[in-house]
Amino acid sequence: MKSAILEVRGVGKSFPGVKALSGLSMTVHRGEIVAFVGENGAGKSTLLKILSGDYDLDEGSVLLDGVEVAHATPLDARRGGFRLVRQEPEIVPHISVAENIFIGEYPTLGGGRVDFTAMRNTVNDLLERYGFAGLVDIEALGRTLSPAQMHIVEILRALKDGVKVIAFDEPTSSLTKEETDRLFDLIRLLRDEGLGVIYVSHRLHEVMEISERVVVLKDGVPTGDLMTAETTEQEIVQLMVGRELAHGFQREETTTDEVVLEVEHLSSRWHRDISFRIRAGEIVGFAGLVGAGRTELAKVLFGEFERTGGTVSICGEEKNIKSPADAIAANIGFAPENRKAEGLILVRSVIENVSMAIYSVLARFGVLRNREMYDAVSPYVRDLDIKTPSLDQEVGKLSGGNQQKVVLARWLAAKPKLLILDEPTRAVDVGAKAEIYRLMDDLARRGMAIMMISSELPELLSMSDRIIVMSDGAISRPVEKADATEEAIVNLALGKGMA
Amino acid sequence: MAANEQTAPPQGMKMNNGPLKRFTKSVGAENLSLMIALVVMVALIASQTEFFFSARNLLNIGQNMAVVGLIAVGMTLVIVSAGLDISVGSIAGCASVVCALMVSQVGTVIGGVAFGIGIGILLGLVNATIISILRVNAVVATLATFSAFRGLAFLIAPGGRPVGVLDPTLAQLGSGRFFQIGEFPGIPIAFVILAVVAVCAHFVMRTTVFGRSVYSMGGNPDAARLAGINLTKMRYYIYAISGALSGLAGVIVTARTSSGQPASGTQGLELEAITAVFLGGALLSGGKGTIFGSMLAVLLLATLSNGMNLLGIPTFYQLVAKGLLLVLAVAIGQWRLARAEREQARLTAAGEG
Repeated sequence: MKSAILEVRGVGKSFPGVKALSGLSMTVHRGEIVAFVGENGAGKSTLLKILSGDYDLDEGSVLLDGVEVAHATPLDARRGGFRLVRQEPEIVPHISVAENIFIGEYPTLGGGRVDFTAMRNTVNDLLERYGFAGLVDIEALGRTLSPAQMHIVEILRALKDGVKVIAFDEPTSSLTKEETDRLFDLIRLLRDEGLGVIYVSHRLHEVMEISERVVVLKDGVPTGDLMTAETTEQEIVQLMVGRELAHGFQREETTTDEVVLEVEHLSSRWHRDISFRIRAGEIVGFAGLVGAGRTELAKVLFGEFERTGGTVSICGEEKNIKSPADAIAANIGFAPENRKAEGLILVRSVIENVSMAIYSVLARFGVLRNREMYDAVSPYVRDLDIKTPSLDQEVGKLSGGNQQKVVLARWLAAKPKLLILDEPTRAVDVGAKAEIYRLMDDLARRGMAIMMISSELPELLSMSDRIIVMSDGAISRPVEKADATEEAIVNLALGKGMA
Repeated sequence: MAANEQTAPPQGMKMNNGPLKRFTKSVGAENLSLMIALVVMVALIASQTEFFFSARNLLNIGQNMAVVGLIAVGMTLVIVSAGLDISVGSIAGCASVVCALMVSQVGTVIGGVAFGIGIGILLGLVNATIISILRVNAVVATLATFSAFRGLAFLIAPGGRPVGVLDPTLAQLGSGRFFQIGEFPGIPIAFVILAVVAVCAHFVMRTTVFGRSVYSMGGNPDAARLAGINLTKMRYYIYAISGALSGLAGVIVTARTSSGQPASGTQGLELEAITAVFLGGALLSGGKGTIFGSMLAVLLLATLSNGMNLLGIPTFYQLVAKGLLLVLAVAIGQWRLARAEREQARLTAAGEG
């Protein structure tokens, strides 16, 4: 039997009014990969934050390699050998990869001078040892890195010295299939080196693939501790939500003949000769690797980035869209991927956040009336089931899932003919995902044209009427729903058989 | 998941009971603390000198408030939009000189007022151009024009000296009063101008597309742009308004002192206006702040410096006190922000695991 490296005994943590975690006991052994699963709110992040020293626990104890670390500070936790690979790595933009990896712990020559040679050598060794050689230039500046490369930097930070237990928090949310496979190879390598590995993810198929044991949390309470080989996705889902979820989302065909969006020979800094159509009632999925130009295409259509050639027509009328305001006037809505940075105004109220795109529609002679704002906004807040004490609540004080719904409500209130959704379910839990799918289906039924950018193949396959695959700024011929398989999409995304 | 998210206790739920709580909510906690501070300060000053409540002194406070108050109205727009305008005092200096020249050389008071405000708008547009088109950070841009516009004021004034202007109509703007009936000493015209401007600005900020857009762009410029707000256009309007109100303040300085002053009377106005806006509850990072709060803070500052003068506290101490107050105002804002962030972190942790 392998020996225990991390023991969590009866850990509990409360926040005013909420029990975030209670009575959690579990063990991670040397050379073992343990997955934590649970819906948003189940207590996964709370546990990781307790282990990494961000939160102090209320009850219970934590033993890391036999040492009590229950009340560790972040620095204690790090020194003790616990490392967390965060979902969104903090990368300093203007310093090199090597410096980013060693930030805060530069090797010195004495007299406070940084030993750049030692730093470079160590980083090169690390890249070699963990199979990242050639994937990232150690002299490259932080701001030039792709999301995958940022992850490599974050992982190497964790691995560079004295690591005993490494935890990955939703590591694959911005990774492609290939990058995910490579990450899994690395995780197996770490296991074989005798580390304890914790893997937190919403993606159950990944959990099934990589983990040896699964700990299921529901509302802060452990509901299962299972050997992965002896369980099924269905069983895990049941333990997570206490009910059985229908596998995948079934949509009926709602496509009509009316063409809402027609793009012809569009080009831009990122794109060349892109032509496609989306009809009313149709959901067209956009697949592709990160960096293929999908988000950029959405932003070109929305007037945020410049279009250098080609035409865009909405309902048969050519539109010269040069700014987001033009796009909104042309009945286009756009819910960006990064909701906090590009979608929400955290210090302002729900009502303002929902109505800001339709101020000029609601106003008479530039004056907005409260009554009319409430009337325009409340149906969407109700339909989307946004949990808020009042419409005047600051959005920054809502939970993450509700914040995402606020962005969606803004675009529903604008009643667009074309709605562009960039990764609509990124970092959303199983239940909220199903709600968003239902909403998209409903919108399509009512005749909206939807352009859905997504990196999740099951989502693309179940929601899209057609799938367009982007690769390096160009698009494939649309793949009809009947012909769409994971393999076909992945091959197109890799640039094989592009139109 | 619906059930999980409900477990996060929404803040503000407990607020809806009792008349005191309701009053706090409608006035705002920040404004209430300002009011309390004001009352305490007035009580302290009045207990030391009975001259404080004399008609002459109150008129004096009202007149002093007008100049800083007008600038603070514009500054509220600027700071809520996540900008800063350090050049306001220098713009007021230019406007003061231009107004005096118009009135003394051409003999038109209306022209003087119009040109004073006009040069303010023009210089505000210069600020907006530097910030939006040349993409210079607002602090640096207006720090540069803070110096440049002051120089301009001296250049416009013949020989760099104050321009004397003896026009009784113009003087009314500075020291005239409305409603001077019987015993009642009346209300300073300058104060009435401020009141009208502040009420209009309050209405604009709360109920117009323009005002709401100022809040949106200050809270998150990227999100505002993606919601169709033209940030460049907004900045031109905002800095032009700030310039116009600084210009008007400069005109009032000319009227009060009977001379176009390139420097005296308009120096240090930026510090007072910025302090007032932050003290009034605005955030350095933008998106928050009200005209009402800023005006309360202007009243507080005017009372404070009046009180210090009455109690014979030397100017040097007053300068130190003003500096400390600015730090205090921003520190309170940061503290509020940190508290809100902790609240959100707690909700996220509780609501999302």
